[in-house]
This record gives sequence, structure tokens and C-alpha cells, in this order.
Amino acid sequence: MIVITIVLVVMVLAALWASLTTLLLRATIALALTSAMLAVVMYSLGATFAAVLELSVCAGLISVVFVSVISLTQRRPFKDYVTRRLSRMRRFWPLPLVLVAIGVALSFVHTPVHIVLPLPNGDGDVRTVMWTLRQMDLFGQILILLAGVFGVLVFFKKDTSDGK
Amino acid sequence: MSTYTFLLPIAIPVAAGILTLLVPARARLAVSLLAVVATAAQLASAIWIFPMDGALSVAWLGYGIEASFRLTRFSAFIVVAIAGFSFLVTLYSTASMSKAPSTKPFFAWMLITAGLACGAVLADNLVLLVVFLGALLLTQFGMIAAGARRPYAVAIKAVVIVGLSDMCLMLGIMMAAHLAGTLSMSAMKLSLDGMGGIAFLLMAIGALGKAGAMPFHSWIPDAAREAPLPFMAILPASIEKLLGIYLLARVSLDLFTLVPGSWVSLTLMVIGAVTIVLAVMMALVQKDYKRLLSYHAISQVGYMVLGIGTALPIGIVGGIFHMINHAMYKSTLFLSGGAVERQAGTTDLSKLGGLARSMPVTAVCFIVAAASISGVPPFNGFFSKEMVYDAALESGWVFYAAALLGSLLTAASFLKLGHAAFFGRRAEPASGGTVPAVREAPLPMLVPMIVLAGLCVLFGVVNRIPLDGLIGPAVGAAVTGGRSFAGFPASQMLVGFTAAALLLAILNHWYGARRTGHGLGAVDHIHHAIFLEPVYSVAEQGRLDPYFIGRWVIGGISAALYAVDRAIDWVYETLAVTVAQGISRVGRRLHNGSVNRYVLWSLAGAAAVVITAALVLGGSR
Amino acid sequence: MSDVILLLPFAALILINVLPRATRPAAWAIAAVVLAAQMAAVIVPPYWAFLDTIEKTVGFSLKLDRLTQLLVPTAGLAGLAAILVAQAGTATARTKLLFVNLLLIAIIGISGISMVQDLFTMYVFIEVTSVAAVILVVLRDGELSFEGAWKYLLLSAIASVLMLASLGMFLLTAGGVSFEEAASALSAGGAEAWVAAALFLSGLFLKSAMVPFHGWLADAYSEAPPAVSVFLAGIVTKASGVFALMRLAPAAFNGSGPGAMILLVVGAATAVVGAFLSLTQTDVKRMLAYSSISQMGYIVMALGGQPALALAAAAVHFFNHTVSKAQLFTNAAALERQLGTRDMDRMGGIGSRMPVTAGTSAVASLSVAGLPPLAGFWSKLLIVIALWRAGHVVFAVIAVLTSLVTLAYFLSLQRRVFFGTTPAEWSGIREAAIGYTLPALVLAAITVAVGLGFPFLLPILLGGGA
Repeated sequence: MIVITIVLVVMVLAALWASLTTLLLRATIALALTSAMLAVVMYSLGATFAAVLELSVCAGLISVVFVSVISLTQRRPFKDYVTRRLSRMRRFWPLPLVLVAIGVALSFVHTPVHIVLPLPNGDGDVRTVMWTLRQMDLFGQILILLAGVFGVLVFFKKDTSDGK
Repeated sequence: MSTYTFLLPIAIPVAAGILTLLVPARARLAVSLLAVVATAAQLASAIWIFPMDGALSVAWLGYGIEASFRLTRFSAFIVVAIAGFSFLVTLYSTASMSKAPSTKPFFAWMLITAGLACGAVLADNLVLLVVFLGALLLTQFGMIAAGARRPYAVAIKAVVIVGLSDMCLMLGIMMAAHLAGTLSMSAMKLSLDGMGGIAFLLMAIGALGKAGAMPFHSWIPDAAREAPLPFMAILPASIEKLLGIYLLARVSLDLFTLVPGSWVSLTLMVIGAVTIVLAVMMALVQKDYKRLLSYHAISQVGYMVLGIGTALPIGIVGGIFHMINHAMYKSTLFLSGGAVERQAGTTDLSKLGGLARSMPVTAVCFIVAAASISGVPPFNGFFSKEMVYDAALESGWVFYAAALLGSLLTAASFLKLGHAAFFGRRAEPASGGTVPAVREAPLPMLVPMIVLAGLCVLFGVVNRIPLDGLIGPAVGAAVTGGRSFAGFPASQMLVGFTAAALLLAILNHWYGARRTGHGLGAVDHIHHAIFLEPVYSVAEQGRLDPYFIGRWVIGGISAALYAVDRAIDWVYETLAVTVAQGISRVGRRLHNGSVNRYVLWSLAGAAAVVITAALVLGGSR
Repeated sequence: MSDVILLLPFAALILINVLPRATRPAAWAIAAVVLAAQMAAVIVPPYWAFLDTIEKTVGFSLKLDRLTQLLVPTAGLAGLAAILVAQAGTATARTKLLFVNLLLIAIIGISGISMVQDLFTMYVFIEVTSVAAVILVVLRDGELSFEGAWKYLLLSAIASVLMLASLGMFLLTAGGVSFEEAASALSAGGAEAWVAAALFLSGLFLKSAMVPFHGWLADAYSEAPPAVSVFLAGIVTKASGVFALMRLAPAAFNGSGPGAMILLVVGAATAVVGAFLSLTQTDVKRMLAYSSISQMGYIVMALGGQPALALAAAAVHFFNHTVSKAQLFTNAAALERQLGTRDMDRMGGIGSRMPVTAGTSAVASLSVAGLPPLAGFWSKLLIVIALWRAGHVVFAVIAVLTSLVTLAYFLSLQRRVFFGTTPAEWSGIREAAIGYTLPALVLAAITVAVGLGFPFLLPILLGGGA
């Protein structure tokens, strides 16, 4: 339980880092760290396949895609980066404190929501789930990827036109 | 002789009028000739049917509404009178209108008017009567519009006022028909109790409106200023008086039984007395030949209404006698005015004078008619007025006093008029130079005047002819009780008072003329008297005119309604638009394009939806 | 197989990209043919019955029903109009090709939405549609379209988070995400299920740009390329938001109680706020965008009405509004193409120069404002009746009064753009090309035909139940 609590805290901190940093590369690393922590939580909750998928796709594959895209961009001057970062810090420094305060407050509130975890569904392995039960979702995800490809095409066209 | 014969006085002039409309406007001679021949034929047919009795009823609209006509002694008498005046005025018009740009519409309308007036007199069904009166309203509009200089304002005013009284008449007819269960005039006999009294009053208002009694008079002086003179002679002076008083007499004598001393009778007498005094007061100070006459045309109605209103036999006969007398002398006076206007080029009394030398025939006719209207014996007006005085004194000394005062002022104003127009010296034109020579009017204008003036004398000297020959049979033995009112007035006292009043008028004129040095200023001391001057100045501006007061009141209501309407409109047109645009602008300012703001809104909305669901829906289960 | 409807455009998508380069200029024609085939497959009953029998033997989680019959042809109409407008536009061949591809992906997503039977698959197809739409918005060069797409993307992401959270909760409380499981969990009660439903609802409100979730829409619509605006306004947001609500509302809320009240309040707020925001816009497309928000509010409001009428009213207004709004954006595209501006303050007297555009625009405007005998009048009437019969008199009155504001801003649009004297600036303007006028004419004809024939259509609509 203590491990999971630590992991959850690290995950939230990593997510905050990812959203507050102004360097894309650091944000990518923070995102990968968040995904990794999420995979640990999933594993400890018994969702082995989900954990593996999360680790491989989100922490691995997507990070690679991000890094390769970032390598195509240009870096801003360092001075610019420092001033932006300082202003961002000034604007968002209360955010972690607010989140923590909300969490503490919520723990004292007796909500009418009583979540009772059902037993994990053990019918079949991940292949059955993916290819038989959730066939349509897979089709949809393929389409989203395709759309992403076209999106990259659109943006690259913009890049070349800007470059000229 | 066919059943339809007695409708000839209606048919001939109406047909001729329509024919006139078809004649080319440039054939002025043909138009004049047609009009004279048609009115002559009408007069001939009227005289031909005079001794007859006739009744005709044709099914028409159902529900008791029939096209029924009835020829009685009374209606035959009025038809002859109408036809006679039409003929004389038409003859006169052929000369007097010779300088007008177009005579065709005037003659056409006049012929049709003459026919329709006979129709109204001969009608026995009340609805048919209203139809004729309504048609007369249209022809009246047409006649004024055909000749007046500023036609439409006057024509509309006349139509509004007479139309209003016609509406009252219709209302009264509906009530009377409801009470009596019939629309036939000859079958109707109602009492004056309750609703009957109101019905009578409404119908009397219709009749008085036609006759031009106060407060339905105010279009007549305006018309006198604007409309052609023959119009004044034919409609306000003769035909409308004949129609109105005929109607009043029929309503009072046949349809209802007017009882002396009843409140209805009192109301009529008050109207008559007020009309006499107020109108003559206005007449007194007029400085224009035609306008002065027009106020007298109103004032004299008062005597007729007063006479009939007394409901006494001598009053009724006197009123009707005064009606026919008035038609004669007032037509003569208007015709003389027309002659003066045509020959001297103006009717402004301050520019006239000394015309008796150049227009002797006109002057003589004027003197006869003026003496007649002032009640100088032995002219006809004297006799009819004495009869009305007799009845008025019997009903109340106040009415007599009013009538006598009216007589005094009438005499005074005609002394002024005659002095200013026919005697004294003609005023120099303002531009200098010599006074243009004036000649006597042409023969077609003189003949009607002479005939009418002669009749004035005849009906006065031999008053047996009208009183015993015409009016006595007309009103019937039930009214007269077999008495004859012919001959010299019975009451020496009344004659004495009349003589005193006339003397007073002459003295007043002598005093006034001496005071100002000319005839026109003979009544200035009355005009400018301390109490009367402000009243006169207000009245001269038309502020006491019921028509303008009515228009002012209606205008006020209309303005108030308009203001309310604008306010509502403002709510729709300005307030609603402003509010909507204001909301829209605030909305636009809120949508500043900041994505943070949009995200915040979305999250707040989601929170609201979720909390609502959790608390309301979750809690409700 | 019901997924023929899905695979047909998918096959076209592949075909376009694998065929030799020389055939690429004809890609739009392929897409158009596919859309027509899809519409025919859904509408023509014998063919539909044939698909149904196949579906029974295979047993997919997709289902063809009357709502599919509504959505697919409606989407087809908007898609065809968009294709024609895009083809007549000035973009490069590459951009046109990208447009056709993304349009096909969005069409697949919409077709999926029309047939899904569980919440998760619905979410996936909504995402497909949204992602394709976001990228479509960026097809126009420039900062502004990028900004519009960014707002769209960000708020879509928030919607995704809300819907995913909802799905998780449904999995926990209902044990599954199919419609039946969700509905039974809701009827069983419990705050968890209702919170889950509320989260999903919020996500759909975001997708359909209900007030106060509407901030992204005006920027995305107005800055998108003309053809994309036609498609987005015509069908995308409606399919991914309002249509999903139409699918869920009858099962979840039953047209009464506090659940319906959420729909009524949100719908009424949207209708009113959208209408007022339209009133003072000066950009043609922005005005039309806010008008779209307002009209979608009407549809959501209708869903809170009497159950027997609510869905029919919403469906008819859905169709009518798609037709009219796609047509109005086509008109706006024609104006932008011919005049080079969207600023209404600079326009005036264009009606005499572009009679077809002006005439069709008048038809669509009056239809949306609800003037008889056009199509929009009948659907608004149905909405008001549905609200009235359910006892929501206040909302019925709001619906009527808002249509007054609608009339006001559409009249102002007509007056400012088409009436008056033509400024010298526009004296050389001519009518737009057939790619703009043909869809406008056809859609206007549909508006008039539906309006005139509505008394005959109504029994079919109500008799069938939906």
C-alpha cells in the first residue's frame, strides 16, 4: 500500500512536471515517467496486460515518436527560455499546493459515492479481448492513427511552405 | 294617370342630371338649356300632381323595408316649393355661373339634388328616406366640390356635420322602428315616454342638422365664403330648410305626438331660442354680404324650430309658414348677393356702397326681402313671426324675449347691410383710381329675384293663400282644429312690441351710423361692447365652432392614443432592440477568444452537471 | 453486414491512396460515389433488409435502425455539398486530396456513431470524427485556423477525459459499457451510475458545443476552410454530440424528471445565448456558427420534451438544420470566394449580383428562423408541441421567443449582405461557380420540398417510432 501511494504521488508530480515545463524534451521524459508509474499501478491492481501495453506503447513507442518530432523543431534562444520559465513559475506555483489541499479536503468529505470494486473479469487473454470482443474499437483506433498520419502530412506541408 | 305619375318630380331632374353628365363640358349653352328645361318640367309636373293623392309601395329589401312613396297635401306643397326654387335658381345660375370655368358638374349635381330632395319628401318608408338623405349628402359634397375655391375642406366639413346628424336620424329611426314595429311613416304613431322621447330627439336632431340649426350650423358660413352663390340659394337657404323643417314637422306631428310643456318640446324650444340669438349675434358683426346672410340662414331656423317646438297649433302653422317665407326671402337675399358679386366683383361690404343707383331692381328686391326677414308689415315674414311670437309667449316669456331680441338684431343687421351695400357712397379702391362703373344684373338673374320678392309681398298681403290654401290642409284639421290663422295678427300687444323693436333697431342704426360716419359701422358699438368683444373675437377664430371643438377633442384623443402607440412601439422597436443588442455585446465581450476562459467554462459546466446529477438524481433514487 | 456501411468508405480511403498518382484528381468523385452508395444502402428498404439478414447471422455489436437511417443520409448530404465546394475552391491539389481523405475518415466515424450499441465504441468513433475534424480545420494556412483547431483539440481532449472517466465508472458500477447495461444501472439507481452518466453527458455537451461548453466552436467554424465549414457545421458536431445525445437520452432520461431538466436547461441556455451572440456579429461565418450553437440547443431542448414526440421533433430538426446550415455555409463560401471577405459591414447589394446565392440564402434563413411553410417551421412547431405536452410551458415559450431573435439576426444578415444598393467596390462581382450554386440549389429545394410535403411525412415519422 505504501509503495502504491509513493508511486501515485510520483505519477502526479511527473504529470505536473510534464504540463508545467517549457522544454518539449523534458515534457516527453516526464510523460514517459508518468506512463511508467501508471503501468506500475495497473500491475499492482492485477491488470497485467494493461500494464504491459501501457509501458510499451505509451512510455516507449509514443516517447520515440515525440522525440523524433521534437528533433525536427528549432530551439528558442536560451534567454527567452529563462524569462518564459520564470513567468510560468510565477503563474503556476500555487497549483501543486492547491491540488494537495483539494486532495486532503476530499479525504474528509463523506461522499455518497461508494465504489465497490468488482472481481476482475478473467474471461480470456488480451488477444481475445482485442480481436473478438472489442473489434470495433480496434477499427476505430486504426482510423485515429490514420487521421494522425494525415495530420502530420498537413503540418509538414505547412513547415515546407513556411521554410520557403 | 298612372300610379307612378307623382314620381315625375323625382325622375325628371335625376334623369336630366345624368344626361347632363353625358353632354360635353364645352357645350355650356346645351347644359344650361337642359337644366332650365328640366327644372321647368319638374315644376310643371309638381304643379300637375299637386291636387292628387297617391301612394305606391314596391317590395324592396324585405323586413318591412319597402320602396313606398306617399303623396299628401303636405308633401305636395313641399315638392312644389322645391321644384319652384330649383327652377328659379337654375334660371338665375345660367347667368351668374357664366363666368365660372365649368358649369357642367354644378348643374348636374343640382338637378340630381332637386330630384332626390323630392324623393326624400315623397318617401313614406323611413329606410327609403335615409337612402335619399344619404344620396343628398353625396350630391351636396359634389356641389360644393364643383364650385368652391378651397372645395374639399368645406365639403368635408359639411359632409361630416350633416352626416353626423344623419347618423342620429338613423339611430332614432331604428329605435322608433323597434318601438312601433313598422318602418312606414304613415303607419307610425308613438308616444314620447321613455325611449320614445329619445327616439324623437334623435330624429329631431337629424332634421335640425338638415335645417342647419345650432349646433349643426357651422359649415354654412364657411360654405358661404367658398361655394358658388347659387348653391347657397338652393341648398342652405331653401331646399335644406324645406327638407329639415318638413322632417321636423312630420316627426313632431305624425310619427310622434308632441305635447305642449313636455321636456321634448322644451328642448326643441331651447334649441330654437339659442339658435335665434347666437346666430343673429354673429350675423350682426359680419362684414361680408354672403357670410352675413348665411348666419341669418341659421338664425331664422330658430324661429321655425321654436314655433314647432311649442307644439301649439299657432306655433306649428307659424313655423311652417316661416319656413316657406324664409325660403323665399332668403333666396332673394342670396340671389341679390350673387348679383352684387357678379356686377361689382366683390361681396366685401367695406368695398361696396351706393349700388341702389346703378342696380335699382336688385336694390328693390333686396329691400323687400330684408323688410320681410326683419318682420316689417305687410311682408310675409311679419305674419309668420307674429304667429311664432304668439306661441312663444304662451310657452314662456323667455322664449318670446329671445325671439324678439332676434328680430331686433335682424333688423339692425339688415339696416347695416342695406346701408353699406346699396346706399351711402362707394368706398375708393385702396389702389386709388376711379370706381369702376357697375351695371344692373342681366335679365335671367333679375327674373327669379323679382318673382320671389313678389311672392314675399303676395304671401304677406294675401296670407290667406298660403295659410288656408297650403299649410292648413298640409297639417290637417287635427292640428289646426279648423281654425284659420289668416289675416292680421289678433294680438295688438305683440304687434306693438314688434313695432317697438323695429323702432329700436332704426334708432340703434341711426346712432351707430352717426357715431362712425358710415353704414357699415352702425353696430360697431355692439361689436366692441365691453362684454361682447372677447366673445366675438373667440367666435371669429372659429374656436366656438362645434366642428372644430370636436376635431380638437378627437385630435387630442388621437394624439393621446398615438403617444400610447409610440410608447408601445418604442418598447418593441427601441427597448427590445437595445436590450437584445446589449445582451449580445456583453456576450461578445465575454467571448474574448481566450482558450483558458473557454476551458474554465467547460469545466465549471461539467462540474455543475455532475453535481446536479449526483445530488438530485442520485439522491432521488 | 451492417459494417458494409463502414467498410465502403474505408475501402475508398485505401483505394484513393493506393491507386496511381494520375488518378488522384478523381479522388473527390470516388468519395462522392461512395457517399451516394452509403446513402442508398441505408435508405432503400430492400437493400436494408438484405443487410439485416446478414447481420443476424454474423452478429456484430453494430445495429442499423431508424436513427441510422436519419444520420447516414444527412451526413451524406452535408459531405457531398462539402466535396463540391472543396472541388470548386482554390486550394492546391494536395490539399484537396488530404481533404477527401480526412472527410472519408470523418464519415466512417459518423457512420460508426450511427450504429454503435455500446458507450466505449461510441467514444472511439466520436474520437475518430473529432480528430479528423480538428485536422480538417488546419487545412487552411494561417495562424487563425491553427488557433481554432487548437481550441477544438483542447476542449475535445477535455471531453475525452470526461467520457473516459465516465466509462471507467460504468465499468465499475454496471459491469459493462453496452447501452443495456448502462441503462439498467441507471434505472437501478445509485449515485455512481448517475455521476458516470453526467460525466458522459458533459463530454457530449462539449462535443456539441452546448452553453457553457461552446467556446471553441465559433473559432473552429469560422477559421476553417470554406468546405470544411460546410462539413463541420452541417454534420460533424451534430453527429458527435447531439446525435449521441439522441441515442442516449431516451434510454437514460425518459423525457421527464430531473434528468430531462438538465437537457432542458442546457438546451434552452444554448438556444438563447447562441441566438443573442449571433445578433451583433459582423463576420458571416461567425454569425452562422453561433446560429448553429443556438439551433443545436433547440434539438437538445426537444429531447427533454414529451417522449412520444421528443425524438421525432429532434430528428426532424436535426435533418432540417443540417440541410439549411450546410447550405448557408455554402453560400458563405461562395461569398468569400467571390468577394474575398467575410465582413458583413463591407457588403451590401450583393443580391442583384449573385441572385442564386441570395435566393437560396433567403430560403435557408427563413427556414431556420421557422417561417412557414418551410421545413424549419414544422420542426420548430414539433419541438414546441413536444415541450408543451410534457408540461414545460416556460421552455416552449423560450423556444418561440428565441425564434424571434433568430429571425432578427437572419433578416439583418440578408439586409446587410444582399439588399440595398451595390457599392462600387462590388460592381464587377458575378455569381459563384456551379460547385457553390448546385449544392445550394439542391439543399434549398430539399428545404422547400420537406416544408411543403411535411404533412405527408409526419405520419411516417410518428408511425415508425424511431
